[in-house]
This record gives sequence, C-alpha cells and structure tokens, in this order.
Amino acid sequence: MSGGYLLLATILVPLAAAGLLVVTPQRFPNVVRAIALAAAATMFALSVWVFVAFQTGSGGYQLTLRWDWIQNVGILGAHGISVYLGVDGIAAPLVLLTGIVILAGTFVSLKIDRRNKDFFILLFVLVAGVFGTFTALDMFVFFFFYEVAVLPMYLLIGVWGSTRKEYGAMKLTMMLVGSSALIFIGIFAVFTEAGRGTFDLPTLWGIHYSPAFQKTFFPFFMIGCGVLAGLWPFHMWSPDGHMSAPTAVSMLHAGVLMKLGAFGIIRLGIQLLPEGAKFWMPALVVLATINAAYGAIAALSQRDFKLMTGYSSVSHMGYVLMGLATLNVVGINGAVLQMFSHGVMTALFFLCIGALYDQAHTREIPAFSGIAQKMPLWAGFFVLAGMASFGLPGLSGFVAEFNIFVGLFRTYPVLGGIAVFVAAITAAYVLRMFAIAFFGELNPRWASLKEISVAESIGAVMLCGAIFFMGLWPSPFVERIATAVTHLPGVTG
Amino acid sequence: MVGMNAAWLLPAIPAGAFALLLLVRNFLPRKGDWVAIGAVTASFVLFFFVLHDLMTRLGPNFHGVSTGFTWLKIDNFVLRVGFFTDPIAIVMLAAVLVVSLMVHVYSTGYMHGDSRYGWFFTVLALFTAAMSTLVLADNLLLLYVAWELVGICSFLLIGFWWERQSAAEAAKKAFVTTRVGDVGLLIGVILLWKKVGTFDIQTVLHAATSGQIGHTYLTVALLFMLLGAMGKSAQFPFHVWLPDAMEGPTPVSALIHAATMVVAGIYLLARMLPAYMVITGLGTLIMVIGMITAIGAAVIACAQTDIKRIIAYSTLSNLGFMFVAMGAHALTGGMFHLLTHAFFKALLFLGAGSVIHAVETQEVGDLGGLWRKMPITMGTFVIACLANAGLPVFSGFFSKDLVLEGVMHGNTPYYVALLAWVFLSGIYTARLFMLTFFGPSRDHHRYEHAHESPPNMTLPLVVLAVLTLLAGWLALDSVGRALGFPGGVGEFVFVHEPEAYRFSFTVAFAATSAGLLGVLATMYLYWGGGPERARRFADYSPDVYALIRNKFYVDELYQAGINYGVLGLSHAVAWFDRYVVNDTGVNGTAQLTGWLGYRLKFLQNGKLPTYALAMIVGVLVMAIVALSMHS
Repeated sequence: MSGGYLLLATILVPLAAAGLLVVTPQRFPNVVRAIALAAAATMFALSVWVFVAFQTGSGGYQLTLRWDWIQNVGILGAHGISVYLGVDGIAAPLVLLTGIVILAGTFVSLKIDRRNKDFFILLFVLVAGVFGTFTALDMFVFFFFYEVAVLPMYLLIGVWGSTRKEYGAMKLTMMLVGSSALIFIGIFAVFTEAGRGTFDLPTLWGIHYSPAFQKTFFPFFMIGCGVLAGLWPFHMWSPDGHMSAPTAVSMLHAGVLMKLGAFGIIRLGIQLLPEGAKFWMPALVVLATINAAYGAIAALSQRDFKLMTGYSSVSHMGYVLMGLATLNVVGINGAVLQMFSHGVMTALFFLCIGALYDQAHTREIPAFSGIAQKMPLWAGFFVLAGMASFGLPGLSGFVAEFNIFVGLFRTYPVLGGIAVFVAAITAAYVLRMFAIAFFGELNPRWASLKEISVAESIGAVMLCGAIFFMGLWPSPFVERIATAVTHLPGVTG
Repeated sequence: MVGMNAAWLLPAIPAGAFALLLLVRNFLPRKGDWVAIGAVTASFVLFFFVLHDLMTRLGPNFHGVSTGFTWLKIDNFVLRVGFFTDPIAIVMLAAVLVVSLMVHVYSTGYMHGDSRYGWFFTVLALFTAAMSTLVLADNLLLLYVAWELVGICSFLLIGFWWERQSAAEAAKKAFVTTRVGDVGLLIGVILLWKKVGTFDIQTVLHAATSGQIGHTYLTVALLFMLLGAMGKSAQFPFHVWLPDAMEGPTPVSALIHAATMVVAGIYLLARMLPAYMVITGLGTLIMVIGMITAIGAAVIACAQTDIKRIIAYSTLSNLGFMFVAMGAHALTGGMFHLLTHAFFKALLFLGAGSVIHAVETQEVGDLGGLWRKMPITMGTFVIACLANAGLPVFSGFFSKDLVLEGVMHGNTPYYVALLAWVFLSGIYTARLFMLTFFGPSRDHHRYEHAHESPPNMTLPLVVLAVLTLLAGWLALDSVGRALGFPGGVGEFVFVHEPEAYRFSFTVAFAATSAGLLGVLATMYLYWGGGPERARRFADYSPDVYALIRNKFYVDELYQAGINYGVLGLSHAVAWFDRYVVNDTGVNGTAQLTGWLGYRLKFLQNGKLPTYALAMIVGVLVMAIVALSMHS
C-alpha cells in the first residue's frame, strides 16, 4: 500500500507546484524558475523510483492505492468511482518517459520571459493529467485525467505559440475534444453493459461482454484514442499543432501526449474488449500502415523543421499502432518500446528545433546551410535523434522497431515489409534535412548563431542518455513490459 | 591460453576505445589517436591467438566455435550477441585487422593537423569494432546490427569534411542507397527467422540444406537477402554510391570503400553460400549481376580522370568479380580474392592518398612524372597495379586464377567474359599508373612542390606492398603447410570438402595474356609524350567516349527518378494532406458546422406567427404519422 503514495505523489507534486506558482508573484521570474525546476526534478526522481520499484518478478498491477470516492449513490454501486492507482509493466516505462520529458522540457523552458509563471502552471497541470492517466485503474479517473492532459494545451499553444497559433490551438483542441466524445460514449456503454455500477477497471476487465457489443463499441475507443495517437486520417492536428506549439509543449505533446492515445487503446480497447480488438485490428493495421508510409513520404518534401518532425511523428506513431494491431507479444512489446523511444527521440528533435528557432526566428529548412559549423554540439544532438528515428542499432529506435517488424511478420508479412521499407524512407528524409541545413558551406546569414545553451544541453543530454540506455540495454524495459503484455487478453505468444 | 573463446574481445577492444574516445578524446594527448591504434594492435595480436587455437582444432568434424550471451529475451523470442569463428571469418578478419591497423598508422600522417583529427580516430575505432562484429556474428540479427553500424561509420567518414556540400551529399547518397538494400536484408533475415525460429546462422543453414524450408520460400528470403549484399557491395544497380564515396578522406576509402565494408556483401553470400547453393537459379543471377558490375565498372574506369574515382571503379569492378565467384560457388577463390584484393586495393588507395597529399589534386591530368619525386610511393604503387592487373607472382594473379578456374567448369561464357574483364583491368590499371607517375609533369607548379610522404605514411605502404607480394603464395599447399595451415587456402576455406591447389596452365596463360595485352596496349597509348595518342583514340568515337566518361548516365537517371518520382510522390502526398485532408476534411467540417449554425439561427426569428405556424405544422405531421401507423 505504501507504494501507492508514490503514484499519488507523481500526480500531486505537479499540482502542488502549480498551486505554489499561483501564489508566487509574477515579478519574481527567477523564483518561478526555481520552483518549476525543483518540481520537475522531483517528478523525474519519482518517475525513476516508480520504474525501479516495479517488481519484474511478480508482474501484475503494483504500487496500488485505492480510495473509494463516490459509491452507493444513484447508478453507482460499491466502489462506484474510486481513486484507484497502480502501474503495470506497460505503464511503468511510460511514467518514466513522462518524468524524463518534463524535466528536459522544464530545462528548455527556463528561458521563457513572457508570463513564465502561467506557462509553468499550465504545463504542470498538463503533466499531472498525464501521470494520472498512466496510473489510473478507474475508468472515470482515467477519463478525467485524460481530459486534464489535453485541455491546457489550448492555452499553452494559443498564448505562447507561434505560426498561426490560434488556428493550430483551435484545431488541436476541437479534434481532441471531439474524439473524447467517442471515448465518453464508449465508457458509458461499457459501464451500462457491465451493470455492476462501478468504474473499477480490473472489475470491468474481468467481465465477458457479448461479441456483438464488443464489435460495436471497440471502434469508439480505437478512433477516439486513435485521434490522440495521430491515427490517419485524423492526424492533421498533429503537424499543425506541433508547428504552433512552444518548444516544451511540442516536446511533451509529441513525446508523451500522443502516447496517451496508444495507451488508451490498450487500456480501454484491448483490455476491455478483446474480441472487438481481434475483430477490428486488421482495419487498424491497415490505417496504421498508411500512417507510417504516408507520414514518412509527406515528411520527405516538408520545408519547415517542425512540420517535418510532425509528419515524422505521424509516421512513427503509425509503427506504434501497427505493433498494437499485431496482437502478439513481440509486436505489442515493440509498440510500447516504440512509445518510449519515440517519446525521448521526438522530444530531442523539438528541443533542438526550439533552440534554433529562438535564435534564427525561422524554421525554413532550405534557409539554412552549414549551421553545424556554428552549432556543432547542437547538430550532434540533432543527428543522434535522427539516427534513433531511422532505427540505427545501438539506439532506442532499433530495439523498438525491430520488435514491431518481427511482430508484424508473424501475422501481416506484407505490411511488415512495407514497415521495413518506411524505415529507409525515414533515413532519406532525416539525412536529406541534415545535408541541406546542417552541412555544406555556412550561409553567412547565420554567422552569428550561437551554440545550444547549457540548460538546453542538460535536457538534451538526458534525452540522449535515455536513447542510448534503451538502445544498448533494453532488458530493464522489456522485462517490465513483458510481464504485462503476456497477460493481455487475446494476445498470442 | 587465450583462444577462440576470447574472439569476442576482437570487437570489444576497439569498441572500448571508441567509448573512451567519444567521451574524453579532447583531454588526451594527441587527441587519443594512440588509443585507437593501441586497440587495433591489441585486436591484431589477439587475432593470432585465435588463429592458432583454430588451427589446433581444425578437423573433419569441426565447423567453428561459438561464444556469446543473451541480449534480449521476450517470451520465447531470444536475441543473442554471439561470436562464431571459422575459416571464412578468419580470412575476412585478417583483411579487416591488417588493413585497419595500416590505415590507422597511415592516418596519423595523412590526417595530421585536421581540425577533427580526434573524431576521425573515434569513428575509425567504432568502424573496426563494428566490422569485426559483422565478421564474427553467429546470428543474422547481430550481423544486421553490425551491418548498419558499419554503414553509419561509412556515412560519418564519407561526410567527414562535411563543410563541402559534395561530401555531405555523397554521405547521404551512400547511406540511403545501401539502406534500401538493407531493407531487403532485414526482410530476408526476418523471413528466415519466421521459418526456422532462430537467427543462428548455422541452424538456418542446416535448415535450408536439409530441406526444412520450402524452395519457394527460401528463394524469396534469399533474394531479399541478396538485395542487402548488392547494396553494401555496390553491385549494379546499387553501385552509384561507391564512386561518390570518394569524397571521404583517402584512408577511409582504403579501409571502408575498398578492403572491408564493401566486401561485406560478398562475405554475407559466402556465409550463406550453402543455402544459396540449394536454389539452382540464384547462382546464375548472382553471376549476371556481378558480371554487369565487373565489366561495366572496368569500362568506366578507363575514362575517368580523378585518381580516386579510377580506383573506386576498379574496386567496383573487383567486387563484381567476387560476386561472379560467389555465383559460381567458387567460395575458396572468392574469399581468397577478397583477401588479396583487400591488400592491393588498400595499397592503391593509400598510394593515391600519398600522391594527393603531395600534390593536392586528384586530377590525373595534372600529374605525371612523379616517380622521380616519390620513389617509395611509386614502388609500392606499381606492385599494387601489377597485382590489380593480375600479372604473375603478384597476389592478384593467384586469387584471380583460382576464381577463373572455379568459373570455367560449366560456365564457359562467363569465363570468356571474365577474360575480357582481365583485359580491361590491365588497361585502366596501366593508364592510372602511366598518367600518375610517368611522362612529363603536366602541372609544373604542383610537381615542384611534390615530395615523398613522411615515414608514418610510407611504412604502411611498404607493409601492404610486402603483403601484396606474398599473400598470393598462400594458395600453394607447401606454403600453407610451412605456415602451419593444413595446406593451401583451398584446404582451409571450402564449402563441402577441401581441395588442393592445382596450377592450371591454360587458365594462367589465357588470363595473363589478356592482362598483359591490356597493359601493353595502354603503355603504347600513353608512352612518351603523355596522353595524346590516347586522346586520338578516344576521338574515333566521341559519343561512345562521352557515354563511358559519363558513367552510362546512370546517376542522371537516378536523379531524375528521385526528382520526379520520389519527391513528386512526396509533394503529391503533402498536397493531398494539406488540401484534401486538412482544408477539405478538417476545415470543411468546421465550416459546415458554422454554416449550419448561421442558417439555422434564422429559424428563431422572434416572430410569433412563425412559431405558431411551426407548431401547427408539427402537430399535423405528428397526427398524420400517428394515424398512418395505426391504420
């Protein structure tokens, strides 16, 4: 039981920090920064603790904590709605991911001058939502935090963003809230069909729903959560949203938030409605293949760094969804690994882009040439992220993608072949960008560019560390993920 | 006693050096070049212990020794880091470690004063580690991992001088082209795994040869794998990246793009040869691909003017030759040529590097007469040239004849075509040598400043020249036995049973005549006054000359394909996404909602008669519906 307070702390620390920031006067921006950094460091430490404390031997849901909140009222029976937290082998790495990205994101956000207090308040509320979603074992609480994680985005982009920020913020919010409506319908359908008067997820997972019900309502979760995961053709909020968002928000968004969608498909889709999943997965795998190929091909001709990375995210999230759709152990393992890998890698991408944009005030790829001469360290980080994204062995992307490929070849060999080919396209667009913007002769217009700052470097080093860690020694991740994946209903060996 | 169980140290030592250099090279004296050299030397010494242990174990029932550990385990899906030592690996390792060590030493001179001197040795160390892993990998997945790592090292080193746009482009081109082939390799690996349930090479080979894998399935998997080999070994139509890779520093060209990485494809075929032999048609396919590459590249080499590109096309040509050997199942000859070629081609490149270092140009048109200024370079270069032309007593002679002999039986047309290849090799080799070292100096200023290279550059040249002179004799049983081998190379490296070396006078005579003819004809064309005779010869048919000079326009073809095909598709998808998915789908939905709201709001106009009318109509409609349902 005591471990449960650890998970509660991951949610309460960001909320408490936000509360503390509310009462901190705006005229002390450095105090704001100190509080933010301390809070983010605490979150990071807690997330590492959660990851380490997870016992790979026993598996199941660990560090649980359960407080009944509303019960025996109206439609609600015993344990109607409860604050029920716990992590399994899938959630534990994602909690760690969130901790890493928020700390790195805080480091790069230290330089924000305009209303930095409000920025951090919203950022931390968002992160509390993310931690809450990853750890919730109550369907109501899950949905609550899911929404908490999405909504601050609107203000964060709308106020601190750039490049058509109102449009990007509006589109993102409308599409995500719209998709939440689908999830909402699905949640109440399940609640009613189960008829136990409880939102308790383990209870609901234990019930066998009729095949017709499962087949009808699985798409609500698949599409509803899929939108947040960037599922084609509902992905358009992602490139434009990333383009408008400030650096740290892009990092959190592409790095962590999109994973909530995929995580939702596991928690609500596969675990609640396994037969529905089995029925609909062929459809999902086709859409996801389109995701992967379409995103990569579109990225090939993008001229804006962030748009390119946005399409790259669409492509990589396609891999995640493909892995989930295989419904076999290796494939889903790969999908969860890819969630982590893509999280740190894409956060590093956005970190680097932000570091450049803040100086150059443009993100036009062809406008740059030879800037690695001015920013060698920065270029090194960027190139490393690029290499991870096209799956270079020794870096995180390879481990994840390879598992996804193997999983795909078990059930969908042709799509597996396409997925492997997409990795080559990825190499093409990443290296094309490098060749145009980083290498070659220095464009004199950029002679005054400065190297990446210390704070940003610290964030980048953390993310690089995670990329190498998973790439060289994936066992700690795989051992955790496997305990959960092998027990998912309807998943084959 | 350190033996084959320590084989994992061969890649591990340079890998450790890489990690060390990556982190602290700037704090080390001389930027840590000695760390890399020390690591490669250590691996090189260790190699002899491994070799010695292998010799003591060689026997009829010996296949190789495997060591390693589990890297990743998911359910029943196991990924292993394992090292397998057998004669094929030993031959390749010898080439890798010798050339790597020589290149390391040479680079201390060639790269002296470069602003990224330390980084150069860092990547070299990583490359040596990755390449040794590739050679020793006991399973296909580890092989693929190492395959990709040598690819990225190649990328980093081709683009070493990335301030030059051409270098950045060449690096990208090399990586992406080989990556397309690697897609095939990975698919092939996973397909084989799916059938056999393991990545272990020996198990897979056993499954393939004992018929556990259906022929159609095996053919598909091996064809995919062949794509990987073609990409890495720059076979037609993947060959375009290798000449451009010459943008990298010359030691890199010698190590990666002549001696080691580019032969990885041949090595893969050699490893998997028992499986390839199961499917009859595949051998012919490999031979055809190799022959196109061998002849085409040799022809192109005759009309190039960049000293490094001439050697690059010569490399391509020899890679094609080795492909032919693999296609003809001439494993012994192919692997032997891989070894000798590694020595003499690395020597050619390092010699060319020495020339470039002295005159700071790569255009052979600006060279000439350098033999007076650079005697050591010239002396070693001529040895490499003679070996490349396959003339007797030099190592290329033995290995080439071994392949020719393997191809001759049952493949007469290929044998004849290879004789033509030998002739062409003679031509371009002689041309290269004549233009560089003989005749009058064509650029007086450069000639005046030319000088022999320092000892740390000439020493590797001499070592490689000695190896080029001696390595060929390993074909002879007596030499092999004297060195402790069971016999000549044919008794050491083989697929099914050892075969003793038989000197075939017919083959030797035919090939030597062809090579000598090419050399002599070219010497006539370039003798004395420089390239005038050759120019007249080229003028007989300017169109043909332009075709060859422009490498049959393959690069232009690809560029057009990329511009109009790939990027066109990308623009189409991006357009579709922007205008159809976003502006029509997403914004359209928003606009439709807005428009509906605008329209519907007029229903609520605040006028009582309208509301009353709506009420009456509503009641009437409901009444009609109710009545019709009852009746």
